[in-house]
Amino acid sequence: MPDGQIINLLLVEDNPQDLMLAQRALRKAGLDHRTHVARDGVEALDFVFCNGPFAGRNVAAELRVILLDLKLPKIDGLEVLRRIKEDARTRIIPVVVLTSSREQRDVAEAYRLGINSYIVKPVNYELYAEAVRDLGLYWLRLNQPPKVEE
Amino acid sequence: MTDEQTLKASLKEIGDLKAALDEHAIVAITDPQGRITYVNDKFCAISKYAREELIGQDHRIINSGHHPKEFIRDLWRTIGRGGVWKGEIKNRAKDGSFYWVDTTIVPFLNEQGKPRQYVAIRADITARKLAEEGLRTSTKEVLDLKAALDEHAIVAITDARGKITYVNDKFCAISKYTRAELLGQDHRIINSAFHPKEFFRDLWTTIAHGRVWKGEIKNRAKDGSFYWVDTTIVPFLNEQGKPRQYVAIRADITARKQAEEAVHRMNAELERRVVERTAQLESANRELEAFSYSVSHDLRAPLRAVDGFSQAVIEDFGPQLPEEGRRLLQTIRHSAQRMGALIDDLLSFSRLNRQELSKRSVNTNALVRAVLQELGAPWPDRQVQVRVAELPPNLGDPALLKQVWINLLANALKYTRKRDTALIEIGCESRPEGPVYFVRDNGTGFDMKYAGKLFGVFQRLHRMEDYEGTGVGLATVQRIIHRHGGRIWAEAAVDGGATFFFTLEKEATNHA
Repeated sequence: MPDGQIINLLLVEDNPQDLMLAQRALRKAGLDHRTHVARDGVEALDFVFCNGPFAGRNVAAELRVILLDLKLPKIDGLEVLRRIKEDARTRIIPVVVLTSSREQRDVAEAYRLGINSYIVKPVNYELYAEAVRDLGLYWLRLNQPPKVEE
Repeated sequence: MTDEQTLKASLKEIGDLKAALDEHAIVAITDPQGRITYVNDKFCAISKYAREELIGQDHRIINSGHHPKEFIRDLWRTIGRGGVWKGEIKNRAKDGSFYWVDTTIVPFLNEQGKPRQYVAIRADITARKLAEEGLRTSTKEVLDLKAALDEHAIVAITDARGKITYVNDKFCAISKYTRAELLGQDHRIINSAFHPKEFFRDLWTTIAHGRVWKGEIKNRAKDGSFYWVDTTIVPFLNEQGKPRQYVAIRADITARKQAEEAVHRMNAELERRVVERTAQLESANRELEAFSYSVSHDLRAPLRAVDGFSQAVIEDFGPQLPEEGRRLLQTIRHSAQRMGALIDDLLSFSRLNRQELSKRSVNTNALVRAVLQELGAPWPDRQVQVRVAELPPNLGDPALLKQVWINLLANALKYTRKRDTALIEIGCESRPEGPVYFVRDNGTGFDMKYAGKLFGVFQRLHRMEDYEGTGVGLATVQRIIHRHGGRIWAEAAVDGGATFFFTLEKEATNHA
């Protein structure tokens, strides 16, 4: 991540193929340069809370949306979600779950923890690409974010 | 005083005595042969004979027949010898009633020492005799009752302090103690330690206040074995209203108690097994859930990659590929997507078993109308005639029953696709087992020899290129019907249409 680059979208995805397909979709939508990728739950939390390699970053600054997979190594997606929503500094960041699971208990638990949207990844690539592109455009271009109190 | 005066005075005195005697006693005088020569008023009153009827008769006139001949003979022998006879005689009055007299007969002798006459003085003791007889009768009755009670029950009597003063044979038999070992002891000798202290405290409080106590007690016999007795303890009070003694009547209920305990044990065992099975089932369910969860996450991801990268190749390198290469890549994508659909159907099918049924009254008419709407009625680009008869309501899970109708009606639409005019008939037949719903179509039908495969998961009776599908629809329908306690079957002919029939749980049929 080059210094000073503004990151608006955090993509949390461990599956390399899904990641490549998502990045391809973001690139085609012209959103890839404002995206940071985290490959597991620990990395996602480090980025969001500016710990470890991200110590210089400003918590909550500029992050407009987090696309979060649920099945993640180390710390799973629901736990990442819970910690983000527990912290007053990060609670306001919109989180969209983007997962393969259509299990009702995942859906229910994610909403209970305060997600903004729940998207089941379609097998059909065109639909998947469309979903990623629409999410990016909606949250980065269309949606009005809250003013961050520093 | 002159002799005459003295005589007069004596006579006066005798007259007084006789008057007093007549007031008090029943008096009769007989001659040596026993013939009555005098009776006083009391004699007439008690015997109910007039004096004229008695005088000149002997005492047989009032003989009751009660006393044996020896009794009368003994009487005559005594007084014949000049001795005084005393005894109690039962007599018979003129009206046939009996009376008892305490009798003293005094013989008066002549100069030769032979009886000149007999004076009999009697007192009416009928009341006392009746009381005695009554007492004897009631005593007899009480003894009979006691004998009967002893035959039937375990009986013990204790004094006010609880010391055993009486036990019957049955008490000894069941407790295996001898009478000598029990008398003078209190009931702690047979205490089984089964009941808590409060149990006996309550018992003593009840009977010490003069109230009857009833309950079931477990006792311990001399040999250490236990027995149960259904017990009633009745306190008997003294003049001060304090218990004087307690009579305990018990029945042996050991067999019943053992049966109860056996039932109790079996219930506990059954409950334990249910808990165990439930735990096993829950564990199996959890495993199944973990499995489906993993399938849903991990199986779809590679398919998305197969589909996605095929598309990426088409997008990025399409112009450089021959037509056949692009077609093959589309086939790869199509297969990946089909497998995605199979996984989704399989997951929702397996979810059917885990999902709780929430049954409500379902308006079948409205449900079928809604499903037809959802399936695109009235299908402007096709010729479809749908006939819906009046459908009775039923009890079921509305969401699941909707899936049943969606699957059956979607099938009917699918397999009539090649008809110029599709005919779909929805109705309900009334049969002894309850209403039978049916969906009939004039579609392509199937060969009845494959009917057994119809409801299997992933079983298909048609080629993919003719009719698309994953083979989960009818399996889902059957599973839902079975979970509702119903039955589903089909009748069809090749190219002759198909009819699917189903019932739901019987009790649901009269539920409006």
